[in-house]
Amino acid sequence: MPRIPNTSPQTVRVLAALLADATGWHYGYTLTKQTGLAPGTLYPILMRLVEGGLLTTRWEPSPTPGRPPRHLYQLTADGLALARERTSIRDSQVQHTTAPRMAT
Amino acid sequence: MTPLDRESLLRKACRAVLTRAVRGRLDRGSTWGEALLGEYEVATGRWETLRWTASGLRLAWRERRRSARAAAATPIRPAARWLRRTVTVAVVLVLAGVLVNWRVADVLYVPSSGMSPTLNPGDRVLVDKLAYTVERGDLVVLSPRVLGTSPTSDRLVRRVLGLPGDRLECRDGKVFRNGAAADEAYLDSGTRTDCASVTVPPGSYFVLGDNRGSAIDSRQLGPIAAGQVVGKVLLRL
Repeated sequence: MPRIPNTSPQTVRVLAALLADATGWHYGYTLTKQTGLAPGTLYPILMRLVEGGLLTTRWEPSPTPGRPPRHLYQLTADGLALARERTSIRDSQVQHTTAPRMAT
Repeated sequence: MTPLDRESLLRKACRAVLTRAVRGRLDRGSTWGEALLGEYEVATGRWETLRWTASGLRLAWRERRRSARAAAATPIRPAARWLRRTVTVAVVLVLAGVLVNWRVADVLYVPSSGMSPTLNPGDRVLVDKLAYTVERGDLVVLSPRVLGTSPTSDRLVRRVLGLPGDRLECRDGKVFRNGAAADEAYLDSGTRTDCASVTVPPGSYFVLGDNRGSAIDSRQLGPIAAGQVVGKVLLRL
């Protein structure tokens, strides 16, 4: 059965972190801290999101001259919609598993 | 060196490695490689430094493979690619064949009747050139130099009758080795062998052609030096 794209737990974590500041620009470093993912895991996810048109990017020149600029990411309209959808699915799943079982 | 210095050295080294991986010798690498270089500067501490470096290296490696594959996939027409592959394989096989032929094994066309009835002119034999041991009864291939002819002449195939130390003599047309008659079932019945007595010196072999009537062998040439043995006959093809 083909995998539905952008549904892995790690991807949802990234989307949730991006959603926390839905219209803002995010640094890669901050995202690793917020999601707890290693850069080696995070960046392929970011690359996929950008390729899918869910994330847009820009560069911010470094304050220290000679150092490379930093890359920033922002959710697009599509990305916003997907992020909301995926996080709400995850939250409802969490509710189901943590809801107290009714004695029958 | 204070811990701060040591950390700086690690950071400098990792930065250099990462930059080289992302950029090669250019000023700029791929977008995502550059993104990682940018975030590397913000990472602090030994653990983060190593983590970002490792991730960056993996990413750079994957990017390089991807661009290499894209470059390779640029259409060289399938026919041309097939041709190039075939030629490469052919060249490799030829080189391998030459190497094997030169040092490992060989096919020899038996040139003369000196080994009749065992081997006849036109027979093909597989020669083991790497053989280390020679036993009595083995068929060995000798360099044409034993006859004084050039190395590019036909090689000889002869049978080893005596190893170093053996005492060979001929009595009543039969070969005796160390006092006992040699079992030579491969000879045509009624074949006679006449030879002078000899003790095989170290480092040489006493050889006879199975066609005792016509073969030139140790009866005329004396024991053959081991250095003239080019290989051992494994089997007839």
